[in-house]
Amino acid sequence: MPAGQNVVIVGGGHNALVAAFYLARGGFKPLVLERRDVIGGAAVTEEFHPGFKGPTLAHTVGPLRADVARDMQLEKFGFELIRPDPRVFAPAPGGQALLFYDDHARTAESIAKFSPADARNYPEFARTLERIAQVFAQVVSITPPSIDHPSPDALWNLFKVGRGFRGLGKKEMFRLLRWGPMAVADLVAEFFETELLRAVIAARGIFGTAMGPWSAGSSAVLLLRSAADPHPVGSAAYPRGGMGALTRALAESAQRAGVEIRTESEVAEICVKDGEVSAVLLVDGTEIPATAVVSGADPQRTFLRMVDPVHFDPDFLMKVQHYRTSGTSAKINLALSGLPVFSALASADDPDAARQMLSGRIHIGPEIDYLERAFDASKYGEFSRAPYLDVTIPSIADPSLAPEGQHVMSVYMQYAPYKLKNGGWSAQREELAGVVLGTLAAYAPNLPRLVLATQTITPQDLEETYGLTGGHIFHGELALDQLFTMRPLLDWARYRTPIRGLFLCGSGTHPGSGLTGASGANAAREIIHDLR
Amino acid sequence: MSSTYDIIVIGGGHNGLVNAAYLARAGKKVLVLERRHVLGGAAVTEEIFPGFKFSVCSYVVSLLRPEIIRDLDLPRHGLEILPLDGTFTPMPNGGYLWRVNDHGKTRREIARHSRVDAEAYDEFGKAMVAMCRFVKPILAMTPPDPTTLDPRDLKRLMVLGRRFRALSSEEKYNLIQLMTMSAADFLDQWFETDVLKATMSASGIIGTFLGIRSPGTAYVLLHHYMGEIDGAFRAWGFSRGGTGAISNAIADAAREAGAEIRTQAGVAKILSRQGRATGVVLESGEEIRASVVSSSVDPNLTFLKFIEPAQLPSEFLEEVRRYKYRGSSGKVNLALDALPDFKCLPGAGAHLRGAISISPGIEYMERAYDDAKYGHFSRRPYIDIVIPSLTDPSVAPPGKHVLSCFVQYAPYKLAEGTWDDQREAFGDTVIETISEYAPNLKKIIRGRQVLTPLDLERDFGLTQGNIFQGELSLEQLFFLRPVPGWAAYRTPLKNLYMCGSATHPGGGIMGAPGRLASIAILKDWKLGRN
Repeated sequence: MPAGQNVVIVGGGHNALVAAFYLARGGFKPLVLERRDVIGGAAVTEEFHPGFKGPTLAHTVGPLRADVARDMQLEKFGFELIRPDPRVFAPAPGGQALLFYDDHARTAESIAKFSPADARNYPEFARTLERIAQVFAQVVSITPPSIDHPSPDALWNLFKVGRGFRGLGKKEMFRLLRWGPMAVADLVAEFFETELLRAVIAARGIFGTAMGPWSAGSSAVLLLRSAADPHPVGSAAYPRGGMGALTRALAESAQRAGVEIRTESEVAEICVKDGEVSAVLLVDGTEIPATAVVSGADPQRTFLRMVDPVHFDPDFLMKVQHYRTSGTSAKINLALSGLPVFSALASADDPDAARQMLSGRIHIGPEIDYLERAFDASKYGEFSRAPYLDVTIPSIADPSLAPEGQHVMSVYMQYAPYKLKNGGWSAQREELAGVVLGTLAAYAPNLPRLVLATQTITPQDLEETYGLTGGHIFHGELALDQLFTMRPLLDWARYRTPIRGLFLCGSGTHPGSGLTGASGANAAREIIHDLR
Repeated sequence: MSSTYDIIVIGGGHNGLVNAAYLARAGKKVLVLERRHVLGGAAVTEEIFPGFKFSVCSYVVSLLRPEIIRDLDLPRHGLEILPLDGTFTPMPNGGYLWRVNDHGKTRREIARHSRVDAEAYDEFGKAMVAMCRFVKPILAMTPPDPTTLDPRDLKRLMVLGRRFRALSSEEKYNLIQLMTMSAADFLDQWFETDVLKATMSASGIIGTFLGIRSPGTAYVLLHHYMGEIDGAFRAWGFSRGGTGAISNAIADAAREAGAEIRTQAGVAKILSRQGRATGVVLESGEEIRASVVSSSVDPNLTFLKFIEPAQLPSEFLEEVRRYKYRGSSGKVNLALDALPDFKCLPGAGAHLRGAISISPGIEYMERAYDDAKYGHFSRRPYIDIVIPSLTDPSVAPPGKHVLSCFVQYAPYKLAEGTWDDQREAFGDTVIETISEYAPNLKKIIRGRQVLTPLDLERDFGLTQGNIFQGELSLEQLFFLRPVPGWAAYRTPLKNLYMCGSATHPGGGIMGAPGRLASIAILKDWKLGRN
């Protein structure tokens, strides 16, 4: 072990745990400090009603980047991934529904009921996305190059990405260039005519962002996410035992590698001396000396709340303040006395088949314009009255999460802007839950009668309870100007910060977005390089 | 009758004329064919009401490339640019924001709204000038193809890369933001005054179907910032005699160089044989042969209307069909008996000599966009008003005035009804909107002309009424304009070229596409490819 190195990691979210693991493997003995009494950050399972365990925030896995999963040997620590098929069930108001399976041909059959032309185009779209995703998979695994002084390593990485890009062939090279800055609504319209199909795929470009499907740049988010899973509708995968089982396994794997984890240890300040980190100060007054501090918290929280501003150039601070991190998502978890019956599946003869169809994600948002209108509300400081919902019922595939015969429903609701125009979130919490329930009831009329308990998490709760500044679930907006070499800021996208020994490893760094562990793994690589 | 030319230029708009002028000056025998009775395309002056001369479509000038003015010696051919000083934004609360070219005055004016913004305005101006310096040469450059390994393309890409590397960190930061952000988000970083941000962001949406909060609009903002008159950035002006006078000056230069120009000679078809363009057939049936055909009309007309689909590769046609037009603006031209009187600043002051912008707030602008997204014209639109007769009395009878309103949004595709049904309602909305700030307007209108996107399409050949021959969105710029892989003015049909606003660097009375296309044509000619 490199002598005299005290590495402290702020926060116990999934990226922090991944970074800690790699640092331990690199010979350091990192100490992870988690503010809450439970590790896992935004990937936790909590019993929100007696006997009902819900994914408090994230409800599907990214999935984890393959090399991270391999290196950390998670299955040894009790991690088991459930991959429901179909991945997505998308009901339309008229009682029809689309089903997205792993198998594109099977999905195409479901699409054919809406449009034979779309069914023909779907496999081509899926293949194109797969090929482009391969280029993006390289992009998400590298450290963004320095713009001013790219290192030979960075140039080599870029060269490799460039080679992958050229391997696409002219047509797809141009597709990638053209799609990057495009609105995802335009992208899906190039392939499909069915509104519902367009909406389900487009949703991947807007999930967790302050963009609607007509916002330019939303295609880039879709492409970025396809790097983690190239399936057109993204992944639907749950750890057995709930999302917390993933972070628990990450924690155990990290501990086995030599990481020390302390919960209920909130960092009040990252102490800096002569432009270099010296210690972290906990809220209880404990001071822990550190030669390196790795923050899994978001960039604004790290730079604006944990470090004395005198240590930064005012220009840097101004740019951090301009980093956009205004969240748009809320989370509703429902404890249900039974499985809701969706009108689109009511005629199914086989109840097991109906259950199976609900075992993945459920997409509510039947049209592009529906999604866009949901977004419109948030621009003016209101939450959507007809929201876009991404729903899971993880207890179908994993009965351990709820008492027998009962279920847990997890709902991501968009758009719920962090800043409301009239009044605060505490006054509108009930109304928000009501709107979500009402929206779902239009597709599953018996749902309201099944609700035993409701847990509502507003953007304000996301900030206060989970430390996500602005309630942004991805630690900052996924916009073109906040990605890659610009995440979080141009020239500070290499996990380093203006303070020597202070690093970032959270979702606010490249590539961000989703439970993939990529930010943590990339950060660890750079940190080890610097500390050695 | 059949005659033979070296080059036929389709369309007598400013780009077609620039193209023809350069080609004629190179000694080629050039024929320009214009469908209408008047030259200029969308840069045209017409006497719609007796004595009132309207710059019917395009109404201000700033982007016209200085090298074109110089090369074609346009001032000698009658071009005279009169300054348009400032932008005046009336506000619903009775206040206003009035920015003028005099920097000190503008600073004091902004300081009335916010001291911080007044400070930031200086910095902002400097930053934007640096950005313009970087982008400007790109406007004069044929876009490279980033997907080939052709040394010429690689060289051009490397030149770009080197120039980018040479920027300071701060400049790189700004440039990347301008290329990726929305105008409103970009301005949010600099300013706090709502009306200032709204008015400045307005130039980011012109000619696009985007809102000020849509990424990509910061670039369009820069595109409009780049205007250059007498070497000064960010100066806009009128052309004496209306924008048609610019086209006439260019036409004059072209004729002097030997080009022949015919009006009322609409092209019906481009002739081709064995993958080569060989001439055109006019709507009258007349056939005219030429070695090269250069089309300044948009790709929809050029490739989908004038050419048999069998003559073009299907993948190319697919991309042409995919190219987005989506006109989003209309024009209302008024003949006035007197000047409008603004409640917030009464009288016929200097504020009427500049642009008058109805853009009172960010939310106002965004809501205007929301209406359009769902197929309605904005209930309260963004309007850019000018009164050219104050600066150039020749365009109206003595004591009378012409007032020109550029109106956004007016979506080409309406959710209900047709533009023919809604034209007058649209005109009324525009007048109602302005009347909220200048209540005397309705009483002084002597005549009005309302141009909807449908009219722009029918009368001016602008597909879907897009004033720039295709949206200026990031995925349709530079090496992607108009069709990926065909951004160098050439087309899959040999001897057929594009020279209009649908090619790099796009719209506005710039003339750059016409000039760059002429360079491509002459280069190929020299190499004997024609």
